[in-house]
Amino acid sequence: MQVDVGASDLAAVIGGRKKTVESEFVRFDQLSALIIDDIGAMRTALRSQLQWMGMEAIRGTSDAREAIRALEEKQYDLILCDYNLNAANSGQHFLEYLRAEKLLSYKTVFVMVTAEAEYAYVANAVEYSPDDYVLKPTQEKKLRLRLERLFERRNFLMSALRAMDEHRYEFAAEECDRLIGLISDERWIMQALRIRAEAQHALADTDGLMQTYERARALRPDTPWVGIGIARAWMLLKDYEGAARLAREIIAVSPTYVAAYELLAEIGFRKKDEDGAFRMIAAASKILPSTKRFRAAAESAYLLGKLDEAKEYSEAAIRLSSGSMTERPGDFLTLAQIQTDMGDHEGAIATLEKQARRYPETGAFGVGKNAVLSQAFLQAGNKAMAEKLLEKSRKLISVNSGSAVLNLMGRAAFKLGDEIAGLKLMTQAVQFSTEDERIRTRRHVVKTMNDAGLRSRIGDVIDAGERRIPALLEEAQKAMRVAQFNVANQKILEALDIHDENIEALLAAAQLHLLWLKQGGMDRVIDARAKAYLAKLDKLVPQNEKVMSFYRFYDTLTGGK
Amino acid sequence: MKQALSALVVHDLKNALALLEADLERLNHYADIPPEGRMAYRRCIELKGRLVGFLTLYKQEHGGLKAHPAEVALADFLEDLIASSQSVEMAGKHGREVVVRFAAERVRIAPETARGGSASLDERLLDLALESALNNAVRYAASRVELWFEQEAGKVTFYVLDDGPGLSHPEDLMHGELHDGAHTGLGIALCRAVAEAHGGGEVSLADAPARGAMFRLAVPAT
Repeated sequence: MQVDVGASDLAAVIGGRKKTVESEFVRFDQLSALIIDDIGAMRTALRSQLQWMGMEAIRGTSDAREAIRALEEKQYDLILCDYNLNAANSGQHFLEYLRAEKLLSYKTVFVMVTAEAEYAYVANAVEYSPDDYVLKPTQEKKLRLRLERLFERRNFLMSALRAMDEHRYEFAAEECDRLIGLISDERWIMQALRIRAEAQHALADTDGLMQTYERARALRPDTPWVGIGIARAWMLLKDYEGAARLAREIIAVSPTYVAAYELLAEIGFRKKDEDGAFRMIAAASKILPSTKRFRAAAESAYLLGKLDEAKEYSEAAIRLSSGSMTERPGDFLTLAQIQTDMGDHEGAIATLEKQARRYPETGAFGVGKNAVLSQAFLQAGNKAMAEKLLEKSRKLISVNSGSAVLNLMGRAAFKLGDEIAGLKLMTQAVQFSTEDERIRTRRHVVKTMNDAGLRSRIGDVIDAGERRIPALLEEAQKAMRVAQFNVANQKILEALDIHDENIEALLAAAQLHLLWLKQGGMDRVIDARAKAYLAKLDKLVPQNEKVMSFYRFYDTLTGGK
Repeated sequence: MKQALSALVVHDLKNALALLEADLERLNHYADIPPEGRMAYRRCIELKGRLVGFLTLYKQEHGGLKAHPAEVALADFLEDLIASSQSVEMAGKHGREVVVRFAAERVRIAPETARGGSASLDERLLDLALESALNNAVRYAASRVELWFEQEAGKVTFYVLDDGPGLSHPEDLMHGELHDGAHTGLGIALCRAVAEAHGGGEVSLADAPARGAMFRLAVPAT
């Protein structure tokens, strides 16, 4: 028997879309794979199929947690993930988690293995789709053909993918340009454009982004990721109206595309339209339920005072995440706070003392737990206990506690009638919030202060909180100008205590240490600190002009060593 | 409740069958496997095909068969279909040498097509339909089976052409007749169900102009 697929002359026929690049032979023996499936026999079957293709470095795991541990140790060329991981979490949730936590290398080919045709529905609804999906049972031949195509494409894009992994975004974007010039297969071009867009997004290069998206839109007019990308670029340009319009257009064409709903919710928060935002989050969590979405819906419902709905969503988040990689003790704080607000102090105490008893009373959870318990005991009429608990909470505070629990403490302080302590805690909550959390913290602060009847003081608290870091840095600059390096360092460290990834504070820290080196001569400790600050900056804001000039300055100081 | 239970049972059966298939597939890698082993593997794949076919028809009858379209590169799709087709693999078992090929030279793409060569289709359903057409063609071909597609704006048509006796053959399975072999004549019904799931379309089987039979499946696709 003979099979003649006529592959070589094929491309030429398909609308002249001939690839001009010689396709590489895929060396399966050099690839590593991670198989995630809860059924041992399935893992064995997939492993054996991969082995017959020549793969040797294959690891099998039975659940997402184990897979995450495996990924923390090393990256794999291929991930074959079962869609039905367990009752609560699907392969899609796992993939979303990996992308959100940046645990997945750009070089990794992620293939979803599914027994359900319905997966295609899911795939069309999400932004983070896998590179491909295969239906099980899959014949080895079919799987092999799929993987060959996927790796052929990956190998072609390798230089750009590697640059993305290394945060060399400018180079990645350039590489994409170069590679696009070499091919005419539209699907490969789309893939390259998508990477280029991600690189440009990281560089906040809005002009370049628009160019990339327009080009992609010309090739594939109704591709949701292109639409959502343009909307995000408009967000960067602070054109919220335009972004919202576009997101609504995407929903009109692809009514299940959750990222569009989530973008509308984000716009809602920015425009202080909590109600509109809540409706969008609720819609998203209906289309594609996930812990993350339930959590966001619970929070939004709570802030709106819709306590029954908030409770439902909060319980759903706990149920769905229980025993999985998305489990967070903070969910119990949310639920207990909602119960307290509902007047159910017994329920709140049970949530924290019974349901959440497996979590140690340390860190942020310890702070939050005592703050919520304090409110619950006060409601139960035990003021002495309430005060004791708030004091306990205060003792557990550290720089890493975070805004959310400071807000909970503020609530407790206000309820206990300590307005001064409450205001201080609210200001700190604003100070401690990282760049990403700022809007969220603000939403909570507004709610807490409204509940405490302090609406008129909201503006003051937010201003004071947000101005603290710039004020400290200004003092540091003044000290630097008169060569009081130790004083300047104190101020900067104080600013970094508030937010250890504040770029301005890190830039000031790097500048200070370079000056220190220049004026005080090479000192091992100062040198090490300077390098650490520069490295951190390089990671947070790659290719930043100022950081680059600092590096050059450092090289002249050290003679380029 | 009853439906939920049967869905559970079917899911379980599919999984069990998948494992059996994997075991047999592994066995088939060995050069010294006895012919019975190869036969068992083929039968397992046929059984799976039948189960999936029945399930698809069952779903359609209960109004639940919906296409889940995603972008499909048509030429790649047909190439893969041929390369991994069980029917093609068994093409030689009737004592004839049958060549199955993707007839790239017959492909037509209308210039007004938005994305020539790719279309938004449910790959899994099309795979089912075309595999069943291919099975039929291979069974009756004298020496040759050809597959290709034509694309117009909003429509893709797939063709399967064989050089067999044509529709005069009394046992042509696509007519829905029972056969003593592994298949039970769900071919045409399955193809119609697949076309319908894509929102309409046409399925036909006719004598080819010169000789043999030509199967045609047209589906709306952007």
